Amino acid sequence: MSETESLVTRLPNDIGGLPAGPIQRVDHELAPWEKCCHALADVLDFHKIINTEEKRCGVEALGAEMIGKLTYYERWIVAFANILFRKGILTPGELARKMDEVQARWPAGVNDEPAGRP
Amino acid sequence: MRRRQHGHDGTHEHAHPEISESERLGYFEIMETAVRELLIEKRLIGADEIRRQIEVLDSRTPALGAKVVARAWADPDFRARLLANGRSACEELGISFYDDTSLIVLENTEKVHNLIVCTLCSCYPRPVLGLPPDWYKLKPYRARAVSEPRSVLAEFGTVIPDEVEVRVSDSTAMVRYLVLPRRPEGTEDYSEQQLAALVTRDTMIGVALAAIGTGRTGL
Repeated sequence: MSETESLVTRLPNDIGGLPAGPIQRVDHELAPWEKCCHALADVLDFHKIINTEEKRCGVEALGAEMIGKLTYYERWIVAFANILFRKGILTPGELARKMDEVQARWPAGVNDEPAGRP
Repeated sequence: MRRRQHGHDGTHEHAHPEISESERLGYFEIMETAVRELLIEKRLIGADEIRRQIEVLDSRTPALGAKVVARAWADPDFRARLLANGRSACEELGISFYDDTSLIVLENTEKVHNLIVCTLCSCYPRPVLGLPPDWYKLKPYRARAVSEPRSVLAEFGTVIPDEVEVRVSDSTAMVRYLVLPRRPEGTEDYSEQQLAALVTRDTMIGVALAAIGTGRTGL
């Protein structure tokens, strides 16, 4: 199969059967924001705002570079934002303003004491 | 490069990547907070729902799956119901399914060994096992489990004899799998609680075999 053909037939996350390195038996305790992001995903699914299938498609749509460089929950939250924009539930400007507002709540120079945790 | 302001004698040194990691996390953490708060302001979700779901996530651990497996080993009728409908049998034991998934329980026998994976992302029987370990979500496991499961198993220290068939089941958004490991020999007199202590997360993913002495409490 040519390189362009395989770009079409294999989306970036469709990796079953590809060659890969040894299993690295890594794990980590979720950061509080990661757990919160997971809970947000579940609640969005309960309300049928974003279901699991849409979430997966949303991550696929980020493209190979973002999928490769962002961590697991970073991909999720960016995918959620994109899906919510597409559905007209949020606008990019609205999110940008809210992010500035959240950022402004954080004490200067301290990045590990977020003010937005539920 | 190291920062030295922590310790008087340099014993509390931390490498720099840790710092840049937390700065990078900051941006996405802010995005998560912002998205969540906007949805709450629009009354599409409730703040209490998020808090409750965090508690639900915290309450799900492989100990639940171990209880299911131990019951199946001890009670043949339950085992039959579990294999017929994984979800309803788990619900019998008070394990609620907070998502829309169905659960198929795959029984290991002397002829078949089962392994579960999600090649596309990270689907996993979360109501009974909690959240998946990172290695389950990373490329090497997802890519290779379906094409060379025996090599993957060997990397976990699990060697399956050639005459035993290895079956790999690829999870989806709607259908999740749980492996019912084989009951170790020599456990005929064990109570259900003692049996459950032999059942680890990895045995229910299928990358390990249940055995006396390798369980969660090393009975």
